[in-house]
Amino acid sequence: MNFLPFIISGLGIGAVYALSGVGLLVLFRATGVLNFAFGAIGAVGAHVAWQLMEWDYPLALAILAAVLVSTLVSFLYGRFLAPLLSYRDTVVRAVGTLALALFLIALMGVVWGELPRRLQFPTDQMYLTLFGVRLTFTRIIALVLAIVVVGGITVLLGTTRLGLDMRALANDRDLSAILGVRITRTETAAWIITGIFAGLGGLLLADLVRLQGTFLTFLVIPAIAAAILGQLRSLWVTAFAGLGIGVAEALLTPIDWISPYRSATPFVIALIAVMILGSTAQAALKDR
Amino acid sequence: MTAQNQTLARPMASPSAIRVPREVLVIPVVMAVFTAAVALLANSFWLTAATSAVALSLSVTGLAILYGQLGLVSLCQFALVGVGGWVTLRIGHAWHPPFEVSMLSGGIVAALVGLIFGIPALRLRGLYLALVTLMLAGGFQTIIGAWGFPDGGPGFLGRADGAGRAMLSRPDLAQDSVPYFVYVSIVATIGLVISQWHKLARPGRAWALIRKGEHVAIASGVNVLTYKAWAFALSGFLAGIAGALLAGNVGQLDGRAFTAFESLNLFALAVVGGVYNWYGALIAGLLLRAVPALLTDLGIDGYVTIGIFGVALFQALATAPAGIAGQISGLIARLTRKGQKP
Repeated sequence: MNFLPFIISGLGIGAVYALSGVGLLVLFRATGVLNFAFGAIGAVGAHVAWQLMEWDYPLALAILAAVLVSTLVSFLYGRFLAPLLSYRDTVVRAVGTLALALFLIALMGVVWGELPRRLQFPTDQMYLTLFGVRLTFTRIIALVLAIVVVGGITVLLGTTRLGLDMRALANDRDLSAILGVRITRTETAAWIITGIFAGLGGLLLADLVRLQGTFLTFLVIPAIAAAILGQLRSLWVTAFAGLGIGVAEALLTPIDWISPYRSATPFVIALIAVMILGSTAQAALKDR
Repeated sequence: MTAQNQTLARPMASPSAIRVPREVLVIPVVMAVFTAAVALLANSFWLTAATSAVALSLSVTGLAILYGQLGLVSLCQFALVGVGGWVTLRIGHAWHPPFEVSMLSGGIVAALVGLIFGIPALRLRGLYLALVTLMLAGGFQTIIGAWGFPDGGPGFLGRADGAGRAMLSRPDLAQDSVPYFVYVSIVATIGLVISQWHKLARPGRAWALIRKGEHVAIASGVNVLTYKAWAFALSGFLAGIAGALLAGNVGQLDGRAFTAFESLNLFALAVVGGVYNWYGALIAGLLLRAVPALLTDLGIDGYVTIGIFGVALFQALATAPAGIAGQISGLIARLTRKGQKP
């Protein structure tokens, strides 16, 4: 059996998982919030893009609007609501984003309904032929975007003042505050970055799979799985784990008896990852 | 008064183990009044909603034990309800035992499943349990989507095609919808009493210590592992029973209704209803079933409910950690105190 087409198609989705995993991780490292609403935030943006394209606005505008809306939602929550839970357990702060996810799902349900749609970019029709397999430009863009973005974030964290502040917050929130790190500003910046990531991830997944509120909301699960494999710390491991999860999911498609269960791949990988890595990653989870 | 104070203070108030404390006695009384009111006043539409609301409140009680007593977030409770329902239907269709037998086996299997997935959490803290259980809920969604619920067909999965579909019969005692509602209420009352007793007695004290800090608990001679495992098993058991009662209500279950999203919803409502008071679970169950029924009655989009739940969850987390039940109990406390001091 020729697995190559499945690997290629998995790379596209894997790139989205990688992008999302890194987006989650940036926020988690800087603020200690695991954002369950990541997928929902992206889904809102993707719906906006779909709506604008229905109204015959240019593609570039639709994409820009989508990322802006996702970023705005993330910013609003991060700036005004998340601080209300700042000094609570990590898990309570994560559950807070669950509330945001529920709210966004409801919003999308009321405005757009649950009818599965598909976002179509012109790049879907353009393709390269690689080893006899079509690789659409959308997938190439997803892959390039993932690499560029992980590189960009690494540079940001490593060389800029904001990155230094973020790393300081990740290490010790209270100590950073004493040393004069502006916590609200740094955290808000992290929320904005994660919003941009969510917007891009939502757009790509809505194009590669389908545009549906609850479906896109659960984009967060493979992303969390990737972040856990990166021990909630390493950006590059998270990115590669995301790619790997996407490819693994796609590779199971041609195997008949397992195919109906293949959408459980991220869950199974994440379960195993939590059980094996959970104890070692505990340092990253110490109460902040 | 914080929640921990409430849970810690009660056992001290009733040191005698033999005397039935007032906090337990009040449950059957309130439930009897509630059941009588619904059975007499509700039409069939509301009766169905109330039956599943009461059944679900049993599973919320399980969540309340984990979150309220131990601070553990479990996001797979509705999946465990599904496990209980699946086992009940499977056993009911295979051997046609009395309903109670199917129901208990559903509860026991769900308890085992809850225990198996609680084991990694015995050593891990907060966020990781939430993640493990979220993955479990997602995995269950995939499996139940592929399997469906048994409806009298052959084989392990028990799926019948088209004409051969059978319904699970209700318990012999309660064939009609009103007696079945009373039956569900009685089972739920027993479940609520059991969990309330746990909170007041030895396990509750152990859980309160574990919540304060595991080192504190170990130093005080509490067997942390056993009591945590017991909490998971009890919570899973209550979810399983709830699933069995849901299966008995309509006679079958729909695999598409058991998404991971429903588990998130259930948890959100457990927090909104209030996890520190027993009637928080009842409030949560009613919100979960009666509010959508009400909105449908009024012709409002069902998604509005989810939005309301989302806002209510955040509000509860940020300003009222004890939920609606906590606010009610605060109100009652203030009123009675005023009554005592003229």
